[in-house]
Amino acid sequence: MAAPQQDSKFIELKPFTDEMIVSMGPQHPSTHGVLRLELKLDGEIVRDAIPHIGYLHRCFEKHSENLSYQQIIPFTDRMDYIAAMNMNWGFCLAVEELMAAEEGKFPGVPERGEYLRILIGELNRIGSHLLSFGTYGMDIGAFTPFLYAFRDREKILLLFEKICGARLTYNYIRVGGVSRDTPPGFMDEVKEFIDYFEPQIDLYNSLLTANRIFIERTANVAVMDTEMAINYGITGPNLRGAGLQWDLRKDEPYSIYDRFDFDVPVGRDIPEVGVVAGDCWNRYKVRMDEMKESVRIIRQILDSGLPDGPVQAELKAVRPPKGEIFHRSEAPRGELGFYIISDGTPKPVRVKAKSPCFTALSALQELSRGLMVADIIAIIGSIDIVMGEVDR
Amino acid sequence: MRHYLSNIYLGVYTALVGMRITFKQMLQPSVTHQYPYDRSFEQKKNVREIPKGYRGKLDNRIEDCIGCKKCELICPVDCITIATQKLPKGERLWDSMNVVHLKDRTEIVGNIEGDEKPASNTTVTINTRDDRTVNVSSEEIANIVERKPVIFYLDQFDIDMSLCMYCGLCTEVCPTECLIMFDNLSDGVEYSTFDRTDLIYEFAKPEMYEQPADESTEAEAAD
Amino acid sequence: MPLSLQTENLHQFFVQSSESWAQRFVQEHAPVLTHLPAPLGELLIMLACCVIFVAVVPLLPLGLVLAERKVSAHIQDRVGPMRVGPHGILQTLADGVKLIFKEDHIPREGDKFLFVVSPYIIFACSFAVFAAIPFGQSILVSELNIGIFYIMAISSVIVMGVIMAGWASNSKWSLLGAMRSAAQIVSYEIPIGLCILTVVMLAQSLNMQEIVKGQDGIGNWLIFRTPFTFIAFFVFFVSAIAEVNRTPFDLPEAESELVAGFHTEYSGMRFALFFIAEYANMFAVSAIAVTLFLGGWHGIVPTEMLPESGILGFVLRAITLSGLLGVVIKTLFLVFVMMWIRWTLPRLRVDQLMNLCWKYFIPISFFNILGVGIWGLIFPKDSLLSIIISIVAIILGLIFTFGVLGKSLSKGPEPPPNSAERRVSATT
Repeated sequence: MAAPQQDSKFIELKPFTDEMIVSMGPQHPSTHGVLRLELKLDGEIVRDAIPHIGYLHRCFEKHSENLSYQQIIPFTDRMDYIAAMNMNWGFCLAVEELMAAEEGKFPGVPERGEYLRILIGELNRIGSHLLSFGTYGMDIGAFTPFLYAFRDREKILLLFEKICGARLTYNYIRVGGVSRDTPPGFMDEVKEFIDYFEPQIDLYNSLLTANRIFIERTANVAVMDTEMAINYGITGPNLRGAGLQWDLRKDEPYSIYDRFDFDVPVGRDIPEVGVVAGDCWNRYKVRMDEMKESVRIIRQILDSGLPDGPVQAELKAVRPPKGEIFHRSEAPRGELGFYIISDGTPKPVRVKAKSPCFTALSALQELSRGLMVADIIAIIGSIDIVMGEVDR
Repeated sequence: MRHYLSNIYLGVYTALVGMRITFKQMLQPSVTHQYPYDRSFEQKKNVREIPKGYRGKLDNRIEDCIGCKKCELICPVDCITIATQKLPKGERLWDSMNVVHLKDRTEIVGNIEGDEKPASNTTVTINTRDDRTVNVSSEEIANIVERKPVIFYLDQFDIDMSLCMYCGLCTEVCPTECLIMFDNLSDGVEYSTFDRTDLIYEFAKPEMYEQPADESTEAEAAD
Repeated sequence: MPLSLQTENLHQFFVQSSESWAQRFVQEHAPVLTHLPAPLGELLIMLACCVIFVAVVPLLPLGLVLAERKVSAHIQDRVGPMRVGPHGILQTLADGVKLIFKEDHIPREGDKFLFVVSPYIIFACSFAVFAAIPFGQSILVSELNIGIFYIMAISSVIVMGVIMAGWASNSKWSLLGAMRSAAQIVSYEIPIGLCILTVVMLAQSLNMQEIVKGQDGIGNWLIFRTPFTFIAFFVFFVSAIAEVNRTPFDLPEAESELVAGFHTEYSGMRFALFFIAEYANMFAVSAIAVTLFLGGWHGIVPTEMLPESGILGFVLRAITLSGLLGVVIKTLFLVFVMMWIRWTLPRLRVDQLMNLCWKYFIPISFFNILGVGIWGLIFPKDSLLSIIISIVAIILGLIFTFGVLGKSLSKGPEPPPNSAERRVSATT
């Protein structure tokens, strides 16, 4: 550390400090996986944070070129392993739309299958947001909400285990429907869970969301306004946290989302507590509110009951016609897009996934410049990345 | 000044609210259980069972396998290796049978007496392979699968469980439902080993196809 | 004087004698020592006391670590350690044995001497604090006439050990943790000192025993003596939490930010020393808070309720009369509150931590000192009237704050400075 020449007669008002380059990750408790951040620190202040990704790269896209469409579905599980159902669903929607391009190739998903998809997708959204809530609490320093979130997520995983046989990598939603019908008594258990879970959200809000220290840590930190969010291509709760009401389930309804009544929560200014739209607190709060909306959707399914009938369409083979498709769906972390080129064979020529976390991560550098080390943790937690999806 | 006081008040108040929640939680019984000790529901009531249909370790009831290689084809990670040898034309190891799947996810293997597709509200009699006769109501039956006669020798049927990704595709395509995944704790989940090679399970049973002694000596003589 | 199972003896032994227990023990059982030249004899007596303390006090963290794990587990819907011993009561012992046998790793590029020395500094200082804490009327190692001053001085040496550990590890994360710790502990010394000052103003003494002796009876506890000491107690307690680096002020070892802070590079027994010191510190600050504000060893269990005879009666009577029971119960309660807070609240940021100290605690503490001074001018010392007025004022104040004032205040403050502005000021 070479200090500059100093005249001893004057007191140096702005002392020269070295920038310290610190590697945060890939082994770090709050980078949510194997993200590595190259931090340029001036004391506690972050001059620059350069994300390095690729530690979890598993060649999903290249791998898919050698697999048939059914075989790709279990690999989509491994993208966003927190919300694997929604990953399955996104891929299947793309394949189904590609197949439907040719007349008579795809008969459409049966009604019961659609209902089950929405039920499972929304349950998984709750599970994903719960994990996000828990880990965010832990990032900010409160360890207890993490275990409460896991306790409740465990109940969702148990439901999934009953319906599809796996806890994390479900491979449940298939092209043309879902793989299994509900086991006996499943809907009662869903109802039991929803009845238990709905008051729990308010409890968590008063435990963490309203906590003064938590607000102090997250309010007005790393404000991403709507313009910046759109420029970066950010979607999902991060975009809604910035104040833009954009939800594919509402604005471009796929499946049968247009039959359900739900709101799209957005971030907003709350000057009383210093919360600004687009800050970490709002991005977090949107997730908490979305859990309530998911509960509302599930309640509507429970009220109407699942329609009778098959859960999967009768398909001879999953062999889309020649063509290409880009289909997007609303995963818990944002818009998940799949771009598929088919040449009419059972295997795709190209599969490209547009991952919401990847775009969210790209904004990290601009968001974190000039903040403190502790804020970096708050940002990473609030944009809620899953490295499996970023690296694929 | 108001901002100042309000900050103090909110800091104390919200902290107290949180502490009230955690204190209430402390008085409630915990949800975890001591896994290797509290193993099953019979021992301790809050322990949950692994549900039916769980995707655990793969198992092949090799007697029913017809060596169709569908599982080998569909496996996304190529963890199944099958080598077969076709029987001479017209020969078969056993005749076709029915596998009756009941709604409580148990199954019965055998020949259904009479009608292949039973009408509703009738009792179905099944002569099982191990020479028992089972009567079930047709309401309980989920579906019936016909098991085709065996026309293959299976020389090799290996599953490398260290590669398996538990997607369950192979069990879905299996036409005879002989490839299954265990859905209980001791068979399906707790099979870790200290050696990776122990995870390669060899299901093929060559002794199953053993011919009478005189034929084998003839074959040797022919060589 | 051999100990006999007679309560009169107990009373004489614990209550009437003014000399410290250890000194009398030496005088009665090894009178030879008293005939030695004065400095040598005193030295030997002190050594004997030290041996007893060093043997007994490290057992505290052993229990506290387990207590923390159990409390956290039950708060979080878990059961905590269950394997070693019934309900895991021997878990800490097993962990200790494991840590002793672990490799003692010293970073190659680190400063070896400082690295080795710093755990001992922290350990020694945190245990030296115990020497001046009165655990009973006569259970105290050294009756210093500047007891509380000594505690302040010794406990602020800990920060040196922390900085040495962070620097010697030659790790950037450790250094960040050490720097945070230095800033934090030095800052929070000030509100602690000011809160102690209010107590000293009322008690008119720096001697820990003298401070306790003035607090006979629950109304006489310094926390209730004036409304200002009531506030001072909470400021002291929260600052003490910050002083021992626990959530919400655990920035030096913020596990989600700095992984483990200044002791990242430590392993084995050296790490265990840090760990023990942390819990010993926790107990020590709680015991100090009890001594200063909550009546110290003045018992909360009336002796009349205890059984008269038998071994059990003797033991109970002994620990109650000596005051040990009162101190331990009150201290453990405070320790429990610390754990409870830790597993509930999130962590502050560095600048917010400093804000809290300099903008909130220090002004409040000065206000307290002013208030206590005025209170002392208005009311004569130890008058019943002052105590009654004070308790009424505290109750009315609480009702007013959480009932009336709360409704208007919870409307909320103005927003904190915009982070965009913060960003500009940081980059220029």
